[in-house]
Order: sequence, then C-alpha cells, then structure tokens
Amino acid sequence: MSKPAVISLHQALRRSFVCLENSQKVWRSVLLECGPLMESLGNLAEQSAALSSVQISNTPLRDFPELEDRLRFKLSQATDTVLSKLNDKMSSLQSVRDSVSNQLSAVQQQFEQNSDSLDVIDVTERSAATPSVADMMEWLQDAERHYRQQFLRRKTLLQTLRVDDFSLLESAPKRWKSLDSAEDPVTDTLCKVSFFMESQ
Amino acid sequence: MESLRLLSAAPSDRGSQRCRLGPGLMSALGLSLGSPLLVSVPGGSCLCTAWPRADLAEGFLQMDPKCCSLSLISQLPAHLNLEPGQLTPVSCPKLKGVRITVVVQSVEFKKHTPPRLVHELVKDMLRGVYVHQGFVINLEDFDTDIRYVVIESINPDSDTIGYITSKTGVEISGIQTVRHYRSQLQDQNTVALGGLDEVSASLREMLQLPLLYPNTLSALGVSCPRGVLLVGPPGVGKTLLVRRVVGEVGASLVVVRGPEVVGSRPGESEEKLRMVFERARSAAEEGPCVLFLDELDSLCPRRTGSSAPENRLVAQLLTLMDGMNQSDRFLIVGATNRPDSLDPALRRPGRFDREVIIGAPTLQQRKAILSVLCERMPVCPSVNLAELAQRTTGYVGADLSALCREAAMLAIRENSKDSGEQAMGMKHFLEALKSVRPSCLRSSLGRTELSPVTWEQIGGLDEVKLKLRQSIEWPMRYPEAFVRLGLSRPRGVLLYGPPGCAKTTLVKAAAASSHCAFLSVSGAELYSPYVGDSEKALAQLFRQARACTPCILFLDEIDSLIGSRSNSQTPNSVQTRLLSVLLNEMDGVGLKTLERRGTEKILQAEGAEESHPQEELDCQEVCNKDVMVVAATNRPDCLDSALLRPGRLDHIIYVPPPEQQARLAILKVCTKLMPVSSDVCLEELATNTELYSGADLENLCKEAALLALLDKNMEASTIEHTHFLRSLNKMSPSLTAQQINTYQTAPR
Repeated sequence: MSKPAVISLHQALRRSFVCLENSQKVWRSVLLECGPLMESLGNLAEQSAALSSVQISNTPLRDFPELEDRLRFKLSQATDTVLSKLNDKMSSLQSVRDSVSNQLSAVQQQFEQNSDSLDVIDVTERSAATPSVADMMEWLQDAERHYRQQFLRRKTLLQTLRVDDFSLLESAPKRWKSLDSAEDPVTDTLCKVSFFMESQ
Repeated sequence: MESLRLLSAAPSDRGSQRCRLGPGLMSALGLSLGSPLLVSVPGGSCLCTAWPRADLAEGFLQMDPKCCSLSLISQLPAHLNLEPGQLTPVSCPKLKGVRITVVVQSVEFKKHTPPRLVHELVKDMLRGVYVHQGFVINLEDFDTDIRYVVIESINPDSDTIGYITSKTGVEISGIQTVRHYRSQLQDQNTVALGGLDEVSASLREMLQLPLLYPNTLSALGVSCPRGVLLVGPPGVGKTLLVRRVVGEVGASLVVVRGPEVVGSRPGESEEKLRMVFERARSAAEEGPCVLFLDELDSLCPRRTGSSAPENRLVAQLLTLMDGMNQSDRFLIVGATNRPDSLDPALRRPGRFDREVIIGAPTLQQRKAILSVLCERMPVCPSVNLAELAQRTTGYVGADLSALCREAAMLAIRENSKDSGEQAMGMKHFLEALKSVRPSCLRSSLGRTELSPVTWEQIGGLDEVKLKLRQSIEWPMRYPEAFVRLGLSRPRGVLLYGPPGCAKTTLVKAAAASSHCAFLSVSGAELYSPYVGDSEKALAQLFRQARACTPCILFLDEIDSLIGSRSNSQTPNSVQTRLLSVLLNEMDGVGLKTLERRGTEKILQAEGAEESHPQEELDCQEVCNKDVMVVAATNRPDCLDSALLRPGRLDHIIYVPPPEQQARLAILKVCTKLMPVSSDVCLEELATNTELYSGADLENLCKEAALLALLDKNMEASTIEHTHFLRSLNKMSPSLTAQQINTYQTAPR
C-alpha cells in the first residue's frame, strides 16, 4: 500500500481542502455583500457628476444658501461611508486569502519534510477516487493564486479610485462585476476532490 | 536521452511559473515537485519550477515564462527542440531583499498612484516567485496596470537566484512605462554605424547638453537648440543615425512617418499631428525624447497659393514647433532627401535650428562603413577593405550593406555546393560589385556599363597612354607624391586626333584601370525640345558625378555636343548655353552647400612623407575629390577657346594616326585571336598600310578572315598571307595626308 509519507500528505491535503471549502463559502458571501455597495458607490459618483454639471444659480433652488457645497459634502460623506464599508469587506477577503495561503504553505512544508522518501512515481500515482499528490498540490496552488489575483485586482480597483475623477468612479461597479470570472477554478477543484474528501 | 519539444504553455498554467515535464525526465534530473529549474533556450533563459505533466507524457516541455531574461520578454521562440542538458536544476535560497524596477502600462497610473500603493501591490504580486538577477518578472496575469518587474539586484548578493517570501524586503528603484521600457530594450540591439562619427557627435551633443547641464544653460539665458534637419541623398543612413544616437543616449523615440499622419477627413491629419506632439511631450517627462519626422518633404511640402489641405497640415506643424515652450524637453529631428521642396518657413532658427548635411560617403567613410558591416561576418583576412572602399565610389551605406549581403549570399551558394568553410573572400565581393550598382548614379544620364579594356589591348600609342596614365591613374596610385609636390589632379583632358585612332578605347582603358566611377554622355541624352532642359540635365550630371568622386565624365564628340561661341551662327543656341554650363561646372565659384561631403581635409605636404596606408588614403581623399572631364573630338578647331584654357581642359593630348611600329602592334593585337598561318608577315603589312587608322587595320583583318572563309567554303582553319594582301588591295585608307597635316599644324 501507500507509503506513510503519502498517507500523511493525504491527510494534510484533506485538511486544506476542507479549509478551502469554507474559505470559498466566505469569499462568495463577502462578494455578494460587496455588490450592492459597489452599486451605491456608482450611484454616488453619478450624483456627484450631475452636481458638477448643473449650475444651481440657474435653477429655482438658488434660494437655498450654499446648497452646492452642502450637497457635495453630503455626497462625499456618503462615499466615504461606502468606501470604509468596502474596506472592511476587503479585509475579510484578505483574511480568506491569507488562510488559504497558510494552508498551502503548510502542505508545502509537509511535502518538503517528506520529500526524501517520496519519488516522482509516488507523487504522480493516482487512482479513480484519489487524485495524485502532484495534481492536488497543483490545484491547491492554483486556488491560492486565484484568490491572490482576485484580491489584488479588486484592491487595485478600489485603491486607484480618485475623488475628482467621476468617470472612473462611475465605471467602478461595472469593472468590479467584470472581475467575477465565469469559470471559478476553486469550485472545479472542490468538485474534483469531493470523492477524495469523503474517502476518509 | 531524447530531445524535448517545446510547446506553448496551457492557459491554466498562466502565471504559475510551472515548467511541465515528463515524470521520467524529472526523476532523471533529480527534480522533485516544484523544485526550481533554469531552462536555457536560444536567446535567453527562463527560471521555472518543475512539475509533472498532467498526462505524464515524456518528450514535451511546456513552460510559463513568468521569470525570463530580457530578450524573451515579448515571446518565447516557438517550435524548438531542446536537449535535456539545457535544463539545469538550481537551488534557490530565500531572499532577504530585492531591488526592482517596476514597469507600468500607462503614464496616468504612474502619475496618480502613490508609491506606497505600488510597493504594496508589487510585494503581494512577487510573493512566492523564484527570481533571477537581471531577469524580468511578467505580472500580466494579474491584469493590473503593473506589467513587469525587472530584478535589478538581490540580497544576499552571493547568489543570482532566489525565492521571494513574505519576509523579503522589496525596494523599488524606479517606475517606467511599458513604452519607454520597450524602446530602451529595442535600442540595445541596434546595428553599429560607420563613417558618420562627426554628424552623430553633433547630434548627441544637442541631445545631451540640456540634460547634463540644465542649470548652466538657464544661467546663460540660452535656449538650447531643439530642431535638427538631416539632409542627404537616400540611403546614407539618416534614419539609422537617429535611431542609433537615440539608443546611445538612452532617449525614447517617437517616430512620425508622413503617410501615417495624413487622414482622409478634414482636420484629421492636424489632429493626429497634435496627438503625436502630445505623445512626445508625455514621453519627455520620463527622460530625454526625440520626435523624429521621417520623410519630412511628404509631410511638409512647400505651400502653394491655393487652399490645399496640405497647407493646413504645414501650418499646424509650424505652430506646433513654435508652440513648444521651454519646458518641453524634446528634440525634433527631421530627415529629408529633398530639402528644396520643404516649406521655407520650416527652415528658420527656432524651428529647425540646425541643418546637418550628410553627403554620399567619402573613401574613408566607406572604409569605416565596410569595416562595421564586415565585423559580424566571417570575412577572410585576405579581403582588403581599403581596396574595396576605393572600388565602391558612389556607393552609399545602403548600397554597401547590399553589397556585403550579396557577397555573403554568393559565399553561401558556393559553400553549399562543396560544404567548405563559411568565409567570404575577395572574389565574392568583386562578384557582388557587378550586381550591386551605386544608387547615387541610379537614374543618372550617363551611367554606362562598359566592358573593361586593358591598356595592352590597345596597340601602339605608348606616349599617349603614358600621358593618360599620368593624368588619370597616377593621382589615384601615388597620391602622396602628388601632395608632396603640390600637384593637383588635372581638371580635364582633351583627346583629339583623326577618327578611328582609338580615342574612345583609350578612355575606356583609363576608366577600367583606375576604378573610378565612369559616366559618359552623348548628345542624344542631353538634348531636349524644352528650353533649359538640356542645361539642367548637364548640371544634374555634374552634381551626380560630384556625389561619387573620383569620377570620370566622358564627353565623346564634344565638338558636336557643345558649340563654340565664336563661329556659331546663332549666338543663343542650345550649344552655347550648354557650353556656358560646362564652363561653369568645370571651374565655377564653388559647390552648392547641399553637395558637401565629409569634412574638409587639408593635408600638410610634409606630413605625408612616409607612405603609411592610412595617410595614403587621406591623400587620396584630398587629391581625388574632383570630377575629371575627359573629352574627345576630331575637330579641335571647332572648340571654344575658353574651354581649352588650363584649369578646364588642361591636358590636350594629340592621338596621332599609327606609325609603322604602332601599326605592327595594332595588327598583332587584332590577329591575336585569329589563326594566322605562318607565312603571314605582319611587318610587311604594317609598312604597306601608310595612312591607315587603327579602325582601318582592324577592318583589314576582319576582311581577310572573311575572304578566307569565302575561299575554303566555311571550313577555313587558317588565314593566309594572300588573304591579307587581297583585302589590302580592296581597301583604301580613311585618312589623308592633308588631314593629318591640319591636326599637326593647328593643335589649338
């Protein structure tokens, strides 16, 4: 039967995939919560743009004192609130990413400890229910890379927003949505390893 | 072990830095899962992590070029076969720190993103990547504005390879845009340039001066020059020069090609032009920048009276060039080969401050170009570049590179037959010289292909040959002697004598022996029904001849070509106008500025005493920078006296009808290829052919051979003496004693 090293690796991998499954759930739910926030960010940007293009002195609203400044203040305050909420969401996304990274490094560490007793044949051995160690490590790496890429893209998107550039703000929800790629490697991976996880 | 086929990486591996191998190869190389591996391919190498292929097949290699050397940045070479020896397992310690340059997509990102954020992002992106010093990390898979990271140095610096962890310190030494970075990369592999040192030095100075001493210039209150116009015939290397200098200085280059800018809608061209200037301005913010307007004459032609659309484009260019303020630190370089067709408003200081004229290369420059071109070719040591440079009069840089290419092709063709060593010999170059003609003389009037004639093929006339050699060959062969004695090459030579006495053949031999460019012109080419056209053609001919000095310009039958002012009936005929052009061109006030070539060199006479090869070339350049006019006539009395004075046609050589000895020599030359029977006495023939010219004698031999054929009914194998005598009886000499008398008595 399998070597003890392989068995211990399998256990570590199983643990990581369980963790990955949880992470995926958290990630999904956080992204779902982000959607409306981004929408409202886009709305606020639209309102700000509208405010800049209108000349209040030419409208019946001119009787209200300092209306434009007040409105702008309100809008920017609202934007700030939305952005700070988004920031909180980002930090929970970051924690998901970090936990997956930790899982990966734990598995890698275990692999390196046992690497002397493992040759390439052991690593690439696969059966109907159990994918090979190489495949599973590859999937785990891919998942970690996916989270990192997603997180970085979203972070870049949020961090490069500028208060004075309304078009950038307005297009932010659209760009945020386009980042949700159609194929999700993590879901695929979890499907692929479902038999392996149940085979305990 | 079998070789590996390199396939393109799977999309799912993008950004993973994996290198997919067969498991057998992995264990053979002692690699375990994810161990770093250096793969060297032609042109560079890639740092990857080993990973078994999903289908476990051997014999293939797929790698994701996340970390590769600079030259592989654009793409990996496809369809390669690699040997397993090209894969090297390496060990990667964890790095303490790394110093990088970040390459970003857009200028906006660079301008608006705080450095702290860039640092944060890059640090995240680089985690878990194996890096090699000097390599580029491709970060395109993150889909952000950060495209590449160049690893400048790593800490600890005892290694060149390392692994970046979350604890590795990242120090950003600079941020560049992709365009700037790519242009820098491109400039690193430009070809070398020969023979344009002075021009490139002045261009470099203009580029570097404002960069090196910005304060000095502003303290002096001087605005640095911002426009250079390069003028020169096609193929001298104007475009290459600009690219080269820009590469050396490390400036970025914005190129405008005329047709790219012109659009179909009204106003579109102007808009595109403005965008180009805007692009140059933004590039100038990152470093020195050159805006290069190639083929400026098409972009900015002389404005005409009507409201042509080009006028608006020209006006836009003028305003853009004037509107550059002091803070715009870019240089505008224009290149054209037709400066006269440019709008004159463009050529004032403030727009194009300087005009640099690059003429056809001189002898020295050609030698420099050839040596640069041959540097990377396997050339036999027997190839004499100086001689090659002498033979390539009138060749510009493009011609010379075509020549080298042609010679290389010949060498390859020859070597593929007998699979010998791959080297180019002198014979290949000489062969290539026949097929590559100088472009200076292309579409020129007097370009003639002549079959080379040696001096030996002309019988007799030893004295004339000597004189011709003195005036044509000696200045080429012994320039240092000419310089030492303060001699200069004659401006012109007039050959006169009765018809049929080998005047034209003599000139051919002179041209063949001196390797000069040879132009010959006849009345048919020169005359035109339009007033002024002939004169223009003659002036053009001289201009082209001057562009490829040393050059011989041969005017056959000059008496009919160019008239005399004294005895012509119509004082203002075409002939007299041509004469005045000729007089001017031969001894005019000076050259046009556009015809400048190289720098003026004046040699000290005492400096040239030892015949060092370098100095010899120098002397030659000084001695042979004029066009030599060789004219031939059989009516010297019809020529204008102004043409015959020293300084114009200063050597006047009489080509006499052959004497007895000369006739014998001519007959010997003529019968060289004929099977003459032993009883033929050429001496007797020579004495009996008084007043026969060279042409007559040749005709005599031909006639005799035909008679022999007639007698023996096509089966004649030898020509008998009787045949010669019979043909002699039939013929009469074409010259008369009276004719010869007039030549001898009235040479001038």
